Amino acid sequence: MNTLPTLDERAVVCLSRQGGFAAIKSLTRPREIDFAQCSLDQRSRICDLLEGCLPLDSSVAGGGDQRFYQIELHYRKGEQDDQMVFKVPENQAPDELVRLWDSGELS
Amino acid sequence: MTDLRSFIPPYILHRIVAHGSEHQRSSAMSTLAHVRTLRHTPGPPVRPVAAAILPAPGKRGQVQRSVHDAQGKMLLPGMPVRLEGQAPSGDPAVDEAYDALGASYDFYWKVLGRDSIDDKGFALIGSVHYGQDYENAFWNGSQMVFGDGDGEIFQRFTRSLDVVGHELTHGVVESEAGLVYADQSGALNESLSDVFGVLTKQYLLGHTADQADWLIGADLLTPRIKGIGLRSMAHPGTAYDDPLLGKDPQPDHMRKFVITQEDNGGVHINSGIPNRAFYLAAKAMGGFAWEHAGLIWYDALCDKRLSRETSFSAFAKLTVEHAQRRFTANHAGAVQHGWSEVGVDPTREEP
Repeated sequence: MNTLPTLDERAVVCLSRQGGFAAIKSLTRPREIDFAQCSLDQRSRICDLLEGCLPLDSSVAGGGDQRFYQIELHYRKGEQDDQMVFKVPENQAPDELVRLWDSGELS
Repeated sequence: MTDLRSFIPPYILHRIVAHGSEHQRSSAMSTLAHVRTLRHTPGPPVRPVAAAILPAPGKRGQVQRSVHDAQGKMLLPGMPVRLEGQAPSGDPAVDEAYDALGASYDFYWKVLGRDSIDDKGFALIGSVHYGQDYENAFWNGSQMVFGDGDGEIFQRFTRSLDVVGHELTHGVVESEAGLVYADQSGALNESLSDVFGVLTKQYLLGHTADQADWLIGADLLTPRIKGIGLRSMAHPGTAYDDPLLGKDPQPDHMRKFVITQEDNGGVHINSGIPNRAFYLAAKAMGGFAWEHAGLIWYDALCDKRLSRETSFSAFAKLTVEHAQRRFTANHAGAVQHGWSEVGVDPTREEP
């Protein structure tokens, strides 16, 4: 199982809801969360949520027009840029992930 | 302690496995193993629990349907509303789903000689009114699910027969070829659903290749959206051009193939290429598209040489072979020409 990389204030998290019979770019409503704009507490809570989503990552997400949440992590690893992408099927997505994608906030 | 067989998200179960007591870990691992059995993987369809209210598959060629009302929730299958042979319910979504499942079954049985999704009389279960303003329809490995749409962009997804045929075909493709839902095999998976979905509509309407509109989801968009459907098989990239939705991004040729990390490698985008190849082949053959091109594509789908991770060109090669085998050199030529026009070379050797 993957582990969450260290996400510091230089990290950016991109969330989008993808797939489905009507897979249209504008309906994915991509949301970008720049950690430089977040407090330490906010970053910590988002990292907890993302860590909880990692076991839900599914390579077959989207099959048969099922929608899924795509999570892209862009971060610095040592002196290099790196990224990690994983997918959470819509029917398994935690409410908090949906809320973060929908409103950009956690409860 | 809490009963771990109640509904607990898997990510919490993983935490319990990592940090819980021995007893908690044991219960969580048992529950996770159960959850994994529920996950959807390519292969033969899983008989849904809802099928228990229908008779077991009997004589070949006899459809078994049940339509359920999810009542705005995202729990499946929902309350049974109309079972096989029952009178119309009066709910348009229920009755559209029931009729469209029947029309799709008829197409597969009468044209292709296939007895439902698994060719063994698999019960067709559909759930309507799924979620709130849900803008989607899907196949989950055991049943079909239809949202009502938001009313502003999309109307209810049961309105277009080809949408229901499209979702049913996902079950057929998984059962028959298990095409991996990513990149070219994923786009081909999507294209095959469009092909047999649109043929179901043409068969019901009695339209020839010349008469047909070749649109996918022609009845889905509300009047306020500038578009004629979700996809055009004849002219990919022209179905809509709207301030809210943007422009239809489907390519009509390999030189415009979209390389992207989104939508599993653009499976709903690059399907435009094989869609147009099918349209061109069907138009060149003339008459009813299901009588020649449809049978050729179905033969290729059922060919055991078809790899789960096939490329467009490997599938194209099979279609040319089957056109020659089932029909004539002229048919094979029409198929070859269709693929060539979209930049796919059926003679190319695969690595």
